[in-house]
Amino acid sequence: MQVRLRFFASLRERLGTGMVRSLRQGTTAGEAWEALARETPALRAMRVRFAVNEHYVDPGHRLADGDELAVFPPVSGGSP
Amino acid sequence: MIAVVREPIDPGGLLDAVGDPRAGAAVLFLGTTRSRNAGRTVERLEYEAFETMAVKEMRRLAAQARRRWPVSRVAMVHRAGVVPVGEASVAIAVSAGHRAEAFEAARWLIDRLKEIVPIWKKEHYRGGAVWIGPQQGGPVALPGRALAGAAGEARGAGAAVGNEGVAGRRRTARARPGR
Repeated sequence: MQVRLRFFASLRERLGTGMVRSLRQGTTAGEAWEALARETPALRAMRVRFAVNEHYVDPGHRLADGDELAVFPPVSGGSP
Repeated sequence: MIAVVREPIDPGGLLDAVGDPRAGAAVLFLGTTRSRNAGRTVERLEYEAFETMAVKEMRRLAAQARRRWPVSRVAMVHRAGVVPVGEASVAIAVSAGHRAEAFEAARWLIDRLKEIVPIWKKEHYRGGAVWIGPQQGGPVALPGRALAGAAGEARGAGAAVGNEGVAGRRRTARARPGR
């Protein structure tokens, strides 16, 4: 399946604004991110949140063909 | 009025947007960019927004506030791009029948906005720049979306016109160790 990835803030500076990826059916948001982190190990330590089609999701959210997965650091004001 | 804008925010426009003859109170909060943060001189701030999602999240917050308090109207505007020091980067206006709910809803809205609306701040200093907020630590679960607790949670509702203040300093302090 094809998923469009988008990156923001510090992640955009490292990875660009986005890319289209072919992923195995049933891949989760977290797994898609781990696959990227395997290619760019510096990403592994980064704190990220996921949004699919502009809605926040947990890392365990399963992606579907045509989804847009946005990955970004917690919002600037993301404090308790 | 819910928007991400690239021009200076006109506070009067927000107050007009929440105008309602049934309302006895209108509260306006302005978050302004500080010249000093964590002991460093900030030359300018830059905000990056996931604009379409940010607008959706702000609309959702406004709807939640209206369910939670007897609020008449809500306006929320956030800047994107470079914001010179001293200008408003975010503004929230709330009108309601009485002041208590207008203050409480405005306080709650700015706190929630800073937790979940996807807009990021980068501070530029002489000789460097830093993204504000925790950047290290791996994937995290979704931010709390439940309506937390009772209306009384919005304490200290006196900040009608304020500054991004203490919360910003805390965030920066936390952002440091990972660098």
